[in-house]
Amino acid sequence: MSGHRVRAITRRLLQGFRRDRRTLALLFVAPIVILGLLGYLMRGSTSSPSVGIANEDSGPLGVMVADTLRHSSHITTTDISAADGDEKLKNGSLVAYIVLPSDFSRQAQNGNVAPEVHLEGSQPGVDAPVLQALQQAMITLASQVAGRNVNFQPQIKYLYGGKSYDTLDYFGAAFVGLVVFFLVFVITIVSFLNERSQGTLERLMASPLRRGEIVLGYMLGFTVIALVQAAEVLIFSLAVLKIQNQGSVLLIFGMEALMAIAAVNLGIFLSMFARSEFQAVQFIPLVVVPQVLLSGIIFPVSTEPKALQYLSDVLPLTYAVNGMRDIMVKGADLTWSSLQLDAGVVAGFCIVLIAAGTATLRRRLG
Amino acid sequence: MTDSYAVDVEGVSKSFGAFKALNGVNLRVRQGEIYGLLGPNGAGKTTLIRLICGLLAAHAGTVTVLGQRMPNVAVLRHIGYMTQQAALYPALSVEENVSFFAAINGADEGVKDALELVELYDRRGSVVATLSGGLRQRCSLACALVHRPELLLLDEPTVGIDPQLRVQFWESFRRMAANGTTIIVSSHVMDEADRCQRLGLIQYGRLLAEGSPADIRAQGGSQNLEEAFLALAGRKES
Repeated sequence: MSGHRVRAITRRLLQGFRRDRRTLALLFVAPIVILGLLGYLMRGSTSSPSVGIANEDSGPLGVMVADTLRHSSHITTTDISAADGDEKLKNGSLVAYIVLPSDFSRQAQNGNVAPEVHLEGSQPGVDAPVLQALQQAMITLASQVAGRNVNFQPQIKYLYGGKSYDTLDYFGAAFVGLVVFFLVFVITIVSFLNERSQGTLERLMASPLRRGEIVLGYMLGFTVIALVQAAEVLIFSLAVLKIQNQGSVLLIFGMEALMAIAAVNLGIFLSMFARSEFQAVQFIPLVVVPQVLLSGIIFPVSTEPKALQYLSDVLPLTYAVNGMRDIMVKGADLTWSSLQLDAGVVAGFCIVLIAAGTATLRRRLG
Repeated sequence: MTDSYAVDVEGVSKSFGAFKALNGVNLRVRQGEIYGLLGPNGAGKTTLIRLICGLLAAHAGTVTVLGQRMPNVAVLRHIGYMTQQAALYPALSVEENVSFFAAINGADEGVKDALELVELYDRRGSVVATLSGGLRQRCSLACALVHRPELLLLDEPTVGIDPQLRVQFWESFRRMAANGTTIIVSSHVMDEADRCQRLGLIQYGRLLAEGSPADIRAQGGSQNLEEAFLALAGRKES
């Protein structure tokens, strides 16, 4: 063991970093960006789930309960009529609504209340605060009905999902698409970079190949691989993990294909900005992590701080994730306007990236 | 009169930032000629070749190839370009590499001939990553000429190749030239220069001298081409 030789290796490493300013910058910028984002997301999320209240009670206690719910810190409430409830859950303006039936006051006097709780059901995290707020209102109610023990039995109904619907179903729907997106992105960025570093791209440029043909050929090649992978992921998720699926398997596959095409073109585009595989690897946390945090996979976009919601709205992954959940959790088909929007945005993103990739290819070889 | 020349470079300059890679270069190469670009490393040989095949655009001057102003995608079909570094796909076999370059140039039938020319037909199944440097260089040459280009641009083609094969390479070059192929070959090896019909000496981005090997010897005042070259290079510098 020679200290001199060890030092030589250490010094060589640090010298390399000194020249590679970009890697150095990413090394110190990326963690701040990622942690800052995470902190802002978790601390800054103030909005509480929107819950509708339909008070049909003819007696005085319904008003009292509705008022208690209105002042709950767990939820934000709006007054609705029970007939509109399901529509509002579907269009996403509410995550739940509570119906206090017409005989609610009488129920309370008899010591057995059964308010209806309608949950949208696709976001597992929001059910708890709704039930918690209701529970508190019931405690207040019990103190008003003197001398009686009030038994609380909410009638819970799910619009989507249901009781057996769990966290994996919620995350799984998004991850089926994500896994394909990121693996394809990494493979493309590295192999396109190889094309540069091994000199074959220069050869391609000196051939009659058009730049668009290169990008398109790449896209098709990787899409073939991505589709095989997508099929594998899908079969594993549905058959082995038994993730709930309400929609058409073909539609999921189509959405995965769109995401794969977007990933290929994102890889080609970003490879223009990396000079080595080393730098390409640096793009992964910088591109991948903020998208995972902001696309609504973990934190629903509606609960993000306002500033971050704008950012989420321009990330294509937000739409892809939303589309996957619409299909798998809610059983959406192409007649749903929300799915049309999601698929349209991801497809539009593909087209923009193909154009961007082709344009950058030109600039680099001047 | 441009169409009588396969390559016509007129007053071409190209800079990379503050560095002037080429400074007012004029160069004319006739059809079927073997033209040697000589010069030390960093003289501008590769830049000139890249300008000729349209990979770079000149800041000043014009490049005309086979009667067309460059850059021009249609002309590229008739150009074969062998890069300095053996630019191949390491995961593919020799034949797969050559077939690929044949396909993108729209000439799928020339693969066997090209492989035989560089004596790689028996090793056509070998994966490029497992080949030695010389074998890769041969494969790279096959990729450059598989579509029978009218103009062959060779950037230091014989680096890493053993002497016997080098002789064979030059014999093939001569045969191709006799059949009408124009060849521009860059080198800093003087014994190769002697095999060219005409030479251009490049240094500091300028064409210092031009002519047949005999002309260069006369201009440099030495029977030894290397000494003549050094004499010419030194004279202009001072």
